[in-house]
Amino acid sequence: MRKFRFLLTTLFTLITGSGAFAGTYDLTVDEMRAGYDRGERLTMAINGQIPGPTLRFREGEEVTINVTNKMDTDTSIHWHGILLPYTQDGVPGISFPGIKPGETFTYNFKIKQAGTYWYHSHSGLQEQEGMYGPIIITPASREPYKYDRDYVVMLSDWTDEKPEAILDHLKKNSDYYNYAQRTVGTFFKDVSEKGLGATLKDRADWGKMRMTPTDISDVSGYTFLVNGKSAAQNWTGLFKPGERVRLRLINGSAMSYFDVRIPGLKMTVVQADGNNVQPVPVDELRIAVAETYDVIVQPKEEKPFTIFAESLDRTGYARGTLAPKAGMSGEIPALRPRPQLTMADMGMDMGGMDHGAAPGAATAPAMNHGAMAGMDHGAMPGMDQPDSQSGIAPKAAKPGGKVLVYGDLKAMKPYAEYRAPDREIEMKLTGNMQRYFWSIDGVKFSDAEPIRLKYGERVRFTFVNQTMMSHPMHLHGMWMQLDTGKKKFNPLKHVVNVPPGQTLSVDVPADAMGEWAFHCHLMYHMATGMMRKVIVEGPVAANMEMGHE
Amino acid sequence: MNPIFFPLAIALSAAVSGLAAPALAAAGHGYEFGSPGKPASATRSIAVNLADNYYEPDAISVKQGETVRFVLKNSGEFLHEFSIDTLAAHTEHRREMAEMMEMDMLTPTGIDPEKMNMDHSKMDMGDMSHTKEAKGMPMRHDDPNTVMLAPGESRELVWKFSRAMEIEFACNMPGHYESGMLGRIDFAK
Repeated sequence: MRKFRFLLTTLFTLITGSGAFAGTYDLTVDEMRAGYDRGERLTMAINGQIPGPTLRFREGEEVTINVTNKMDTDTSIHWHGILLPYTQDGVPGISFPGIKPGETFTYNFKIKQAGTYWYHSHSGLQEQEGMYGPIIITPASREPYKYDRDYVVMLSDWTDEKPEAILDHLKKNSDYYNYAQRTVGTFFKDVSEKGLGATLKDRADWGKMRMTPTDISDVSGYTFLVNGKSAAQNWTGLFKPGERVRLRLINGSAMSYFDVRIPGLKMTVVQADGNNVQPVPVDELRIAVAETYDVIVQPKEEKPFTIFAESLDRTGYARGTLAPKAGMSGEIPALRPRPQLTMADMGMDMGGMDHGAAPGAATAPAMNHGAMAGMDHGAMPGMDQPDSQSGIAPKAAKPGGKVLVYGDLKAMKPYAEYRAPDREIEMKLTGNMQRYFWSIDGVKFSDAEPIRLKYGERVRFTFVNQTMMSHPMHLHGMWMQLDTGKKKFNPLKHVVNVPPGQTLSVDVPADAMGEWAFHCHLMYHMATGMMRKVIVEGPVAANMEMGHE
Repeated sequence: MNPIFFPLAIALSAAVSGLAAPALAAAGHGYEFGSPGKPASATRSIAVNLADNYYEPDAISVKQGETVRFVLKNSGEFLHEFSIDTLAAHTEHRREMAEMMEMDMLTPTGIDPEKMNMDHSKMDMGDMSHTKEAKGMPMRHDDPNTVMLAPGESRELVWKFSRAMEIEFACNMPGHYESGMLGRIDFAK
């Protein structure tokens, strides 16, 4: 099936006659010493660099990627957001067995899309070690926007600890990294501000949910990076005043969301998860783990502008600079206070929800979400404007500033095959924070049956987040059409962020046969069970051809 | 509705509904760089394609004193504008357009005439806006430098470039200019 005659030694070769392009790329995974600001540790990297090299493909290209494992443990590379045959998707145990020590696995697939994507290891916790890199796909036809410069801005979270140690700490004590827990001191402060009754009730409500309001993110102590550089190292992109600069924001973090802004510049969002959207100028945007946003900015003054990406938990920031020449630094804003979940985030003050059916109770995920706030599909809080009652909804730092919300995302081109879904699958996003495992419908991956879809059907996935953390849900191999009420203009996403206590729906066109991973892209959530296998099955004959049944 | 939107609102509804009378420069609003031209004075035509979201061509060269007939076609699926102005004026125009979009008077694909009319009636036009005359009133708008094209629409703009200045042609639909829907106008020596 694969055209091995396309395997050429040159990196990028035009196959004359057919008009098709073919390129060969070589990636080597090895251990490496790396570190930021506080010494080095042994880690894992692709081609000896963090992030790995930027892979530049062209729409229509037949790519061949040789991945060589020089480590003494299995590895893999997954092409995040790329539409391809499932055997090339790079998920050990689902798409293929993984890449053994000393082996080379050759991936082959045809590029059927364009835009900004990324790749990363899908083995254990390797991605957190530094095994991630950007993918840029040049479209076959011209883009619906114009720019003079083009930079990748890949955000990530570096840890001085081994990822396995982090998971161990979390399992022993889920609040290990929650430095901002409320204390006796904050209790008395709350009493003086809200009164004793309200404070006691608030504390009791949180207690019943087995969570604390500062549980918006579970791992801290990270060093945040822009293109592999710490804030002190200051990654810099050059511009001439008046030029339009395209920034390809990729959140390659294991666990960290970022609120991104460039004080003094509007960012015009032109792409989300690799797909063109009708351009929307914003002052700030929140990027969930594994999402991508392409923005165009136009710095007109001859001065440096700070790309400021605060982690959602406000333990730090990633920072880079757009500057007219190297070595310049703009002002660095102060970190804003850490967002605190409110009862409104959990739908608690909207009445009707049974506190006994606590989010986080893996064994009793029977929350009556029908009575929760704003559960009407298409009219969800935060979809069209930030929810003012929410403690966690993004808010612009600039007074009166515009922050991107999902309702702003409209596909540039209407989706031709748009139709009402054939059926709906509801999934409760669940977890037990205290025992630190995360799940779907209270069942962790190792105990779960696959989700089976029929080829050609259109299935609505409705996510009901019963936990107090945001979950970036990622489907491999197929788009999720996020229901923002824009119908055929609903944006295509490979990751959708489901905020705490909220519900949102995506329509999945089951247009890719095979076995696919579907999971929360927070690494330690996936690792502890917030994952499913999705099987897209065809008619019997097609299944046999694929080697199934 | 902010009264400052009024001329623009009229201009937009007129342009899109095809009611526009020949563009006449209203009193009190001139352009340092030029003025609406007489079709008969045009010495050449430039065809400009308005696509989603860019112009073809995206740079033109004109001579000082020259009158050009712009033959415009919107080949895209969204509403687009062809506006010749200074960078500062475009910036102000964009702010107005963004607010109109916020008020749903303007959508990515067109003008909502009902919302436009509704808003007109709230304005200081008194009974006038309800009369036939008001609706059919020649839309003597303030923006003869601007043409709005619905998807698929073709229109013309004749402009006399009288003074060399830093000007651009631009689409000020929210997000369009920012993402590159603009064209350079060079003055040939």
